[in-house]
Amino acid sequence: MSTGTLTRPPAAQDARPARRRPTPQRVVLHVFLAAVAIGWLFPVIWSVLTSLRSYEYTATHGYVSFGGWTIDNYVTAWQTAEFGKHFLNSVYITVPAVLLTLFLASCVAFVIARFNWKINLVLLGLFTAANLLPQQALLIPLFRLFTQVPLPAFMSDSELLYDSYWGLILINVAFQCGFCVFVLSNYMKALPRDLYEAAMVDGASIWRQYWQVTMPLCRPALAALATLEVTWIYNEFFWATVLMRTGDKFPVTSSLNNLRGEFFTDNNLVSAGSVLVAIPTLVIFFLLQRHFVRGLTLGASKG
Amino acid sequence: MSRPRTQAEYLARLVPSSVAGVNRRTLLAGAAGAGSLLGTGLLAGCGGSDSGGSDAKTVSMGSNASDPTPKDVLAKLSAAFKTSSGVEVAINTVDHNTFQENINNYLQGKPDDTFTWFAGYRMRFFAERGLAGDISDVWGKLSGFSDAFKKASTGDDGKQYFVPFSYYPWAVFYRKSVWQQHGYQVPKSLDELTTLSNQMKRDGLVPIAFADKDGWPAMGTFDILNLRINGYQFHIDLMAGKESWTSDKVKKVFDTWAGLLPLHQPDALGRTWQEAAQSLQQKKSGMYLLGLFVAQQFNADEQDDIDFFTFPEIDPAIGAKALDAPIDGYMMARKPKSEANAKKLLEYIGGVDAANIAVKTDPGTLVANTTADTSGYSALQKKAAELVGSATEIAQFLDRDTRPDFASTVIIPALQQFIKDPKDIDGLTNSIENQKKSIFTS
Repeated sequence: MSTGTLTRPPAAQDARPARRRPTPQRVVLHVFLAAVAIGWLFPVIWSVLTSLRSYEYTATHGYVSFGGWTIDNYVTAWQTAEFGKHFLNSVYITVPAVLLTLFLASCVAFVIARFNWKINLVLLGLFTAANLLPQQALLIPLFRLFTQVPLPAFMSDSELLYDSYWGLILINVAFQCGFCVFVLSNYMKALPRDLYEAAMVDGASIWRQYWQVTMPLCRPALAALATLEVTWIYNEFFWATVLMRTGDKFPVTSSLNNLRGEFFTDNNLVSAGSVLVAIPTLVIFFLLQRHFVRGLTLGASKG
Repeated sequence: MSRPRTQAEYLARLVPSSVAGVNRRTLLAGAAGAGSLLGTGLLAGCGGSDSGGSDAKTVSMGSNASDPTPKDVLAKLSAAFKTSSGVEVAINTVDHNTFQENINNYLQGKPDDTFTWFAGYRMRFFAERGLAGDISDVWGKLSGFSDAFKKASTGDDGKQYFVPFSYYPWAVFYRKSVWQQHGYQVPKSLDELTTLSNQMKRDGLVPIAFADKDGWPAMGTFDILNLRINGYQFHIDLMAGKESWTSDKVKKVFDTWAGLLPLHQPDALGRTWQEAAQSLQQKKSGMYLLGLFVAQQFNADEQDDIDFFTFPEIDPAIGAKALDAPIDGYMMARKPKSEANAKKLLEYIGGVDAANIAVKTDPGTLVANTTADTSGYSALQKKAAELVGSATEIAQFLDRDTRPDFASTVIIPALQQFIKDPKDIDGLTNSIENQKKSIFTS
């Protein structure tokens, strides 16, 4: 629409109703939006600015000052917290966990959406209700369980589910499945039933209907979920801290603590570390942004 | 049956003997398929480094030494231990705060053979629960530790569970140059301290620097007042939950503190100890009750200008010989993979060679072993070592002398509340006592 108005000759533009003056509501709306945007951006910009300044400068001049610019914090943060190694640990956890979550959730969602079994509603309720469960409440039973489940030595040098990547992947899959099932089943319900009837006439098995008919159509929803899940699982900090005991195996979010000293914490250094840790989530978001937005709107308008 | 070392061995073990006949081949194929589906590409990453736990030539150590200097000390220690004994130390470093918060989980899970920890109640707490290994026989071979250190390493059952390594005292620090300029004298009693503080106020100084943003620094003030007013034994019993917080003795501590509070730096809740220490360093305040680590906030050329005195006597019957001097050291897990190696390592750490390494590497600490060569100490370190050496009793600092949950969830907010509003001492002590009852009985 905007391109249309631009190419239209001026005379035609005059013929259209004159551009409305902004109503008070619109002014209020924009002020509100601007305030919210600043509120959201402020902590991010603040930490980026802090991370670029030396501790000596801010210690003497305070944080509301200007100067002391340096990138040393980034170099120090990368080295002292050993981010290279810990980023890799995060990959070991996040990638399999996201793939497994999406696969399992889509299976459940397919059954719920495709069949009219009595159990479907209960099943959906169960998965959705699990979202509401505070994860921390399960800490002690899960911890005990994890220290009792043996793993062979080639899977984890701890020889237990405790202190292994497998355990963390499992936890993340378990806690993220509920939300994905909820979203995917709603999305799949919106797909036309005729597709399945046609597929059945052509003799496609249930597996084929799932894998070759439903899944390709769900790509926007899957991409949107993948973006969210990568962010959530990558950001997950609690379980990695509690169910791991080897410092070298911590994912990057938990290893951020390496930047805190016993008696003394350099906030500028911690800011630099946090900015580094936040970068991968931003990259994922911008890569999948198109799918993400489309997935959201497609889900909302029920095509 | 030993643990399987390869994937194939493990999968083979999964087959119950009842079906191991005809169907074995198909089952195995299926299991292998499932295994490869889950495992491909991940195994390399998830397997982690080789544990080598059953190897007789390694011993593992869980370490909270995440700051560069202590980390360096430990690295040098383990290298020296390897040359002397041939046993390799696998150090698992977790950042100091996480290690501390997770210690309960850590010890109940699958801890390393040896681990860094603190003396006093925190050590006894885990010893009592059977989560630490008895190392009394190691102590039989150790020498050079004072009785106060041995007491701090002994559990309630009379056995030793801890090898002390380093410590630092809490005292009142000041700058010699400032005191010389104004002609101040070290106070010998509470009255003298008050007089001195008022003089400092007239001279335009903040008498006592103070900060409690992080919650723990004010514990030092409470500790020292309680030690001076009620003595060491009452302090330890109070921390162990055996004495009542509503008693007149505790109220007297808060009363005394309330009297001193106007002489402290105001708005302490918004200040970190670094900022308070900087006010001392910038000659804006006259003195500061803190640990020896206060020296970190001073420049290298100012180190010789730092001096300290122990908090003055309040009650002549109790004197001024007790103080807070947190001791850091090492413990053994309850079931180490190699007990012999773990004990060998602890014996080495308690020995004079290890102490000498620490003196050379870390100027901010004092070593527990008195036979160590301390000629490398700075004047400040020497004086601190003398102070602790002459102490009759050593407390470990409030959050190390009591249950961690009590210190962090009850005492920190209570002391901050007190600093904000020092008037309602009855309400405060009642609230602490009520929460104490629920925590210590759980």
